[in-house]
Amino acid sequence: MTAVPTSKPSTTPDRTFALTKRLFVYRPGLFVFNLLMWGLFHTAPALITLAVSRVFGQLDAAEVLRKGGQSVAPAIAGAWIFVGWFALVRAGRFGIFYGAFRAFIEIWYTLDALLRRNLLGYLLTARGSRRLPDTPAEAVSRFRDDVEDVAGYIEVWIDSLGILVFSLVAITLMARVDPMITLLVCAPLLLMVAFVQKLSPTIRAYRRRMREATARVTDFVGETFGAVSAVKLAAREDGMVAHLKKLGETRRHAALRDVLLTELIRGVNSNMVNIAVGLVLLLGANKIRGGALEVADFVLFIGLLPRLTGSMGFFGDAIARHRRTGVSYDRMTRLLQDAPDTDIVAHHPTYLHAEPPVPPAAPPELPLEELRVSGLTATFESGLGVRNASFTVRQGEFVVVTGRIGSGKSTLLRALLGLIPAQAGTVQWNGQPVEDPASFLVPPRTAYTSQIPSLFSDSLRENVLSGSGEDRLGRAVRLAVLEPDLAQLPQGLDTPVGARGVKLSGGQMQRTAVARMLARDADLLVFDDVSSALDARTEAQLWDGLFAETDATCLVVSHRRAALSRADRIVLMQDGRIVDGGTLEQLLGRSAEMRALWAEDEQS
Amino acid sequence: MLGVLRVYLGPLKWQVAGLATLLLTSTGLNLLLPQLLRTFVDSAKLGAGADVGLLARLAGFYILLAIGVQLMTAGATYVGARVGWTATNRLRVDLMAHLLSLDMREHKERTPGEMIERIDGDVTALSNFFSQFAVRVFGAALLLIGALFMFFREDWRVGAGVTLFTLGTLLAMNRVRKLGVEPTRVERESSAKLFGFVEERLAGLEDIRSLGAGGHHLNGFLRTQRAFFTNSVYSWRRRSVVWQLSMALFAIGYVGVLATAVGLYAAGTITLGTAFLLYNYMSLVEEPIDQLTQQLQELQKAGASLFRVGEILALRSAIHGGNLELPEDGALSLDFQDVSFSYSPDEPELRGVLYGVSFHLPAGQTLGLLGRTGSGKTTLTRLISRLYDATSGSVRLGGTNVQDADLHGLRRRVAVVTQDVQLFQASVRDNLSFFDPQISDEEVEAALNEVGLGTWLSRLGDGVHTPLPTGSLSAGEAQLLAFARVMLRDPAVIILDEPSSRLDPATEALLNAAMTRLLSGRTAIIIAHRLDTVARADRILVLGGGQVLEDGPRAALARDPRSHYAELLRAGTLEQEGEGVLA
Repeated sequence: MTAVPTSKPSTTPDRTFALTKRLFVYRPGLFVFNLLMWGLFHTAPALITLAVSRVFGQLDAAEVLRKGGQSVAPAIAGAWIFVGWFALVRAGRFGIFYGAFRAFIEIWYTLDALLRRNLLGYLLTARGSRRLPDTPAEAVSRFRDDVEDVAGYIEVWIDSLGILVFSLVAITLMARVDPMITLLVCAPLLLMVAFVQKLSPTIRAYRRRMREATARVTDFVGETFGAVSAVKLAAREDGMVAHLKKLGETRRHAALRDVLLTELIRGVNSNMVNIAVGLVLLLGANKIRGGALEVADFVLFIGLLPRLTGSMGFFGDAIARHRRTGVSYDRMTRLLQDAPDTDIVAHHPTYLHAEPPVPPAAPPELPLEELRVSGLTATFESGLGVRNASFTVRQGEFVVVTGRIGSGKSTLLRALLGLIPAQAGTVQWNGQPVEDPASFLVPPRTAYTSQIPSLFSDSLRENVLSGSGEDRLGRAVRLAVLEPDLAQLPQGLDTPVGARGVKLSGGQMQRTAVARMLARDADLLVFDDVSSALDARTEAQLWDGLFAETDATCLVVSHRRAALSRADRIVLMQDGRIVDGGTLEQLLGRSAEMRALWAEDEQS
Repeated sequence: MLGVLRVYLGPLKWQVAGLATLLLTSTGLNLLLPQLLRTFVDSAKLGAGADVGLLARLAGFYILLAIGVQLMTAGATYVGARVGWTATNRLRVDLMAHLLSLDMREHKERTPGEMIERIDGDVTALSNFFSQFAVRVFGAALLLIGALFMFFREDWRVGAGVTLFTLGTLLAMNRVRKLGVEPTRVERESSAKLFGFVEERLAGLEDIRSLGAGGHHLNGFLRTQRAFFTNSVYSWRRRSVVWQLSMALFAIGYVGVLATAVGLYAAGTITLGTAFLLYNYMSLVEEPIDQLTQQLQELQKAGASLFRVGEILALRSAIHGGNLELPEDGALSLDFQDVSFSYSPDEPELRGVLYGVSFHLPAGQTLGLLGRTGSGKTTLTRLISRLYDATSGSVRLGGTNVQDADLHGLRRRVAVVTQDVQLFQASVRDNLSFFDPQISDEEVEAALNEVGLGTWLSRLGDGVHTPLPTGSLSAGEAQLLAFARVMLRDPAVIILDEPSSRLDPATEALLNAAMTRLLSGRTAIIIAHRLDTVARADRILVLGGGQVLEDGPRAALARDPRSHYAELLRAGTLEQEGEGVLA
């Protein structure tokens, strides 16, 4: 729940733009079409104002004619022509909007999809060990909020061309009337933009605080419902709700600051127009007498100024947006840790309109002869972990890793498989050093079942198969001793297992995970204490089945006699180190620790 | 919808009133501005004859008013946001409390990611509505009415025309707006699904990667995302019809007003200044209608969210507390009377879990509950703490039917330790106390020492305030933390569901002493696969296929050679491994 502030101040303005540029060219045609359509859409108001200004210019001319006692008809006819022009441009703008909007929604959601695909794709399939820097719930906000931010930034770029063209046209039109007044009116607008620019770091800091406070709230909600049965059983609902209230209060303060500043800037921007109009009036008052300024000119100024102010505001906002997007890129980069940041915006198909193809085949088989681990060291920040571990597993062996709680058994397996980073040591497969265990030690070479396996809200069948061929289902279910459970479940293999598998009992989850592993058909099976959720008979059935039907090599964490007595070799761990290794008989003979573990299990 | 508004905005009425004042004043000032412009234009057209002093005064006054409007808008925005956040925070808290009160059947259907979306995602959509509805909608409505009034003042025919136009536009938009509600609901649902999918995969990252199933799950993600894409694009298109309609109607409206102004001027009915005024007031009509439309958009989103919030609030827990208090002190006896249970009682063709289970456990005694996996042991204990209710029969604690007892009080008195320990990414003390600030650090430390985690605690940098190092926590340590949680309470009944399954024997020994202290003077049920775990039990109950196979004092059963328990003991001693094989 503690959101660590971003420590890498790595986002340079260039990077934010460079990354976004890669996104633009993902669908270049669509992007250019967006630019054109929105360009037309934003420029149209200049033409509209010009038409209105002409209408009033004609009426003003009629006034002069009337005073001179002449017929006003030609001037009024002129006014009607400009009313027609006005109608035409307005109608055209409506048509443009229709196309522009559809194009924008398409590019927005496509690029969103690409970013999410890249984030998840990297986490799921890249080399090296992948650990989330925060809770899964917080990581989800990278997929939701930060991706949204980047999309918003793309919107800024799509709008910017049109708004820039409009601003240039407007300023030119105004300057042609009176350059001095134009300059004096635009200067405060430019000052505004500079002011907003100056505020940017503050905006960024507020924004970050707001995000962190939000993450704390969503995290807490996620964790509460992840542990909902514990909360309910402990009757601690009130305490959890009170804590949410506290977190919400912190978030409200952060949000109000963020909102206040953002809205203030926006408010100042939009109200600036009235002050500018006042300035035009003030400066124009003198020129009226000389006849240097006409009503049509006033109408032009007053018509163009609101949108021009809006444009300045837009550019001010764009700067703020740019910074925020930098923060979002930072956070996404942090989620991917060692990935080059261009991976976030890399071009991959997103399959938004078609079925994705079958994933790439598993790496080639390399039948196991010998797995050798030497000098493996993997420690956590707390100092706990595994130090300098060396051992060997040969084809067909059943090797048990045992030791007390906290002796580092699980850490050893996870470091070996590359699930957590190792600081030192090597792993060799058939004598060849394994460069990246995380991508090498997968099926068909190894498969792993963790101590507390994760299942996914899907059917039991889908959980077991996870992409394996249907033909492997029967044997995997049988060997994992899952068949008796299927008889009990209402829909058998098609039973939905619920969120994270909650609809299953602890033992059923564990057996499902074992079946999932067996369906992968790997040479080396790595079990992290699966027996903890199995009764002795089921466990015996599991091992017997494996011995009888497969020639799999097993590496097993356990302290149960069922496993220890079957072991070809036992690796004994104490305080993060391998202290001894050998057959059960040898170890019982020479190790007091082994005798203690063995004896405790006998006690009844 | 209005009911929710009243509940959550009611307590903030003073802030809401302040907001209204700010909005009223700034609207009034806004309406004055075009009047100044008219006077200016009418004076200016005199050209050389214009009174420069008057013009300058008009201009100065204009600027002053503009600054006033600006300040008031800023004030209104701030107060509005404040109101919004305060109101929605309350709603979040109420939603969470309500969701937590639902029974487990509901929770099994939903992922934590979906809960985040429901409690935060939906409510944040509402937040905009709450904070901006007042400012924007109320402000816009005021400005609209004011502008229409001004039209009438100039010329009743123009006023009537513009009013008709406004009513027509609002009606049309309101009708079109409804097109978006259902697609928006579907969109939010698939958004919840998408992020739920991501959250689950991130939580199971190690499992996926070590099984080389990354590509498979990525494909699953792409499919979920495709559904989200399709639904989102469709729902945006439907919602955008409102804007398209507004643009079309306003094109007509502006052309109408401009043509009217030219016509009236040509007929000599109005001055040039007034013609300009009419055109300007049209923008005072457009702006609020635009705002109202945009807010209709928010209203749509909020409507969809509110619908979902309402859906959640309408869910009722099937499990209701009674109003009897359990006896305060001492251990409680436990009785099961002919209890049957099925997870899906509506589908009688499916096998139930428990059938006619009856037994009596005297107060203060420990029951060892044995049985094969799937025999219904865990389910039986869930009925005591009422995570589920018996389909038939009754469960009595201290003579009181648990269904008649106060639910909160019941769960406070019944402590459960399961094999799956659920921890939070929070400090050690928050994990043990469930974020209860009333529990002192000393109590937490004492509980940790008692379960043998004293050394572990001393290694933590910041004592009990250290964030729990979940990554490096072994399942055994987690189990010990769960024991410490129970130590912090004073339950009358303790249920240990395979407490030692993840402990190595050496660590388990650590726990035995603490367990003895914890169980003494309390009624307890210990579920175990292993016989040694239940060696301390006073009574033994063997479950098989959801029925009681055997129930009696442990010593007597052990002596009776025909008992299941004795058979198990024999099997246990006969087996080389020294572990019991259960019938």
